[in-house]
Amino acid sequence: MIMDREPLVRFEHLTRRFGELAAVSDVSLDIRAGEVLALLGENGAGKSTLMKLLYGIHPPSAGRILLDGRESPIRGPADAMRNGIGMVFQHFSLLPALSVRDNLLAAWPATPAYIGRRSKRAARVLDRLSVIAPDIDPERRVDTLSVGEQQLVELCKVVNLEARVVILDEPTSVLTPAEAQRLYDFVLRLAAEGRAVVLITHKLADVEACADRIAVMRGGMLVADFAKGERTTAETVALMMGRPAATAEPAPDRFAGRPARLVLREITASAAGHVLKGISLEIAGGEVLGIAGVAGNGQTLLAEVVAGVEAPSGGDVLLDGESIARRGDEPHATPIGYIPEQPRDNAVVETMDLSANLRLRALAAGEADGAYDVAALIRRFNIAPSEPTRRAGTLSGGNLQKLVAARELGVPRPAVLACYPTMGLDLGAVGTVYEAMFAQAAAGAAVLWISEDLDDLLARAHRIAVMRGGAIVALVENDGTLTRDRLGAFMTGAPAEAAA
Amino acid sequence: MSAREGWITFAATLAAFLMLSAIFFLLLGKPPLEMGLSLVEFAFGDAYSLSETLAKASPILFCALAVAVPGRLGLISVGAEGQLYIGAITGTALVLGFPELPPLAMIPLMLAAAALGGAAWGLVPGLLRARLDINETIVTLILNYCAVLFASALVFGPWRDPANQGWPATAPFPPAAVPPAVDGKVHLGLLIGVLLALALHVFFTRGRAAVHIRILAGNRKVGRTFGLDFAFWVTALMATGGAIAGIGGIIEVAAIQGRLQPSISLGYGLTGFLVSWLARHRPLVILPIALLVGGLLAGSDALQLFAKVPAASATILEGLLFATALAVPGLIARWRRSDGN
Repeated sequence: MIMDREPLVRFEHLTRRFGELAAVSDVSLDIRAGEVLALLGENGAGKSTLMKLLYGIHPPSAGRILLDGRESPIRGPADAMRNGIGMVFQHFSLLPALSVRDNLLAAWPATPAYIGRRSKRAARVLDRLSVIAPDIDPERRVDTLSVGEQQLVELCKVVNLEARVVILDEPTSVLTPAEAQRLYDFVLRLAAEGRAVVLITHKLADVEACADRIAVMRGGMLVADFAKGERTTAETVALMMGRPAATAEPAPDRFAGRPARLVLREITASAAGHVLKGISLEIAGGEVLGIAGVAGNGQTLLAEVVAGVEAPSGGDVLLDGESIARRGDEPHATPIGYIPEQPRDNAVVETMDLSANLRLRALAAGEADGAYDVAALIRRFNIAPSEPTRRAGTLSGGNLQKLVAARELGVPRPAVLACYPTMGLDLGAVGTVYEAMFAQAAAGAAVLWISEDLDDLLARAHRIAVMRGGAIVALVENDGTLTRDRLGAFMTGAPAEAAA
Repeated sequence: MSAREGWITFAATLAAFLMLSAIFFLLLGKPPLEMGLSLVEFAFGDAYSLSETLAKASPILFCALAVAVPGRLGLISVGAEGQLYIGAITGTALVLGFPELPPLAMIPLMLAAAALGGAAWGLVPGLLRARLDINETIVTLILNYCAVLFASALVFGPWRDPANQGWPATAPFPPAAVPPAVDGKVHLGLLIGVLLALALHVFFTRGRAAVHIRILAGNRKVGRTFGLDFAFWVTALMATGGAIAGIGGIIEVAAIQGRLQPSISLGYGLTGFLVSWLARHRPLVILPIALLVGGLLAGSDALQLFAKVPAASATILEGLLFATALAVPGLIARWRRSDGN
């Protein structure tokens, strides 16, 4: 493969303003064929905006973009695709009611006009899918896929466009470790084929795994651009955050046995293709119980039953001895702090402002909302933009995640249920959320924490339960001897006797 | 949107509408400026024109409010037309059943009967949506046909007044059932409509119910998590919308037509639907838009008589108004985006 020395894309002094805010400020950067460029920075650093300028979603306010050495003709996503530039967004553009295969065909330029049941030509659309996600059945409807699987389908769709430049926006934030590894391999393969890959990320793991070059952005500006290995991890983090990284990671106090506070008793339920097969757990006040597992093994349904969004078909959820499970369709307000996955869909009213969203529980209950000091919560959880009267729908995914964490963890709760509470957050915000979560435990709350990040669970949870196929397949003390591999074995189906 | 941007959008919409209407009149071979001025004069020029305008605005106002009430919860009801007919039928049933009632009892009871009928007609799609998650738009659409045909069946059949010599209509309403009016067509119903709009504005902007409805409209799942009752509000708001359209129906029959006939509505349900969406379900914005559209309809009726423009002109002008009002804000937003501001 001949490496082209001429950059495929060159940004010259690019600036993009939104009103007063300069989201991208005087950025000059090259994107070269055959290279994986990690665009690293915290939430709101301007990474996505910079790439959206290339993709034609926003025109630049100043500066210019060169494509193959000439002024870029791109005025919108359709132009971008014609010019061989593909982008995978954090929000997907898949059609949920269609199968994976039909979704790929709908976006494929080479799709034949007539597609028979066993069309050979149409089958080629699945070639890439079998490399990047061999476990996904192409006949499955997209709405039955986990978020991680959808991400891989979306990626496959973009790669099928034969893009020369593939831009991935935070691709690993919703992937399991195994899926992420497959993605890294695939990214390296794309680069080896001579494509340019831009990986927008705030995770150092992504950079370690597959970047050739690292461009760090902060506050809309490009603060560094260097080959991997030229700087240490600590230096990179300092560049990203604008200060040296905190040394101490938040972790809960060691937990001394207290009576069970949140009790899940033989819960069975079924909804939307998922089942729970008799789940029993006891979480004591002050305890942090982690639930590990590959997404799509019933975690979402379990969370919704515990939070009273769905009614169980059998069993009960008890808080301090009282049932808090939903019965039928009677109105039911959850008494526990609840951070669901995908806050935009499940936890936020986008049409209302930040202040109302932070006070939502009180507003719904018709109570005085004195417990919620809106300004203090916004400050503590560093929600940006920070005006309390701003419509929540205008916030980025990471900031909505912070908003929900602030509402659910910012005031004392008897118990907390957190599903992937740090998804899409940068390092600073991750620390804040964990601190708040463990402060709840320290104050006596029972904390149930659903996560796919095994390292985080191993570093922080008191006990870890592993969920697979709608059941708890292992429940182990996190006593320092537990390893990633052992958990991984439970997650993928190890013999039952391996459980401690 | 700032107040200034709001005014710019309003001015641009008006300008686009005037331009398109001018083209329409030119195509008819009529002088546009003269036609436009006559239209305004026929709509708002004197007391008679104004009363014609208000008479047309009244059913539009009721239908728009009937759409706005479930619309606040994010529901799309197209059922105002059918609810209007059912209200007219149940109201008429009371009048035909108890023709001897004194005016003080007759009018409130007639309005209550119409409200109940309309509410029942709205309750059906409401319950189907609340309990079985059946799409309310489709059900309300289908129920419209049922209601209109039911009214026809009644006036062609059991309710036909033999004195009409075959003309399909009920007997004329007794004087006690005709709402009091000043100056011909400016009747009690209009006052009721305006008061309803004001009451709905207060209901939807103040108090706990308003917040609950906003939360459920914005994110039903969040409302469910925090104990709000979507099923209750769907049922209640669909029934309330139906009741409002029902009152509008009996008022149209009692105050304007004097008897129940097969075609009491000139597409008021659909017009009301568009008015409500144009106003984004805000009752206080519905008031002036309903008046404007009423004026347009009344004015073009007169124009048809005096300037010999085709009868369809009213519908065409109305269509141009809605099309520009829906398209111009979008075009402006798009233009602003590409302008990089």
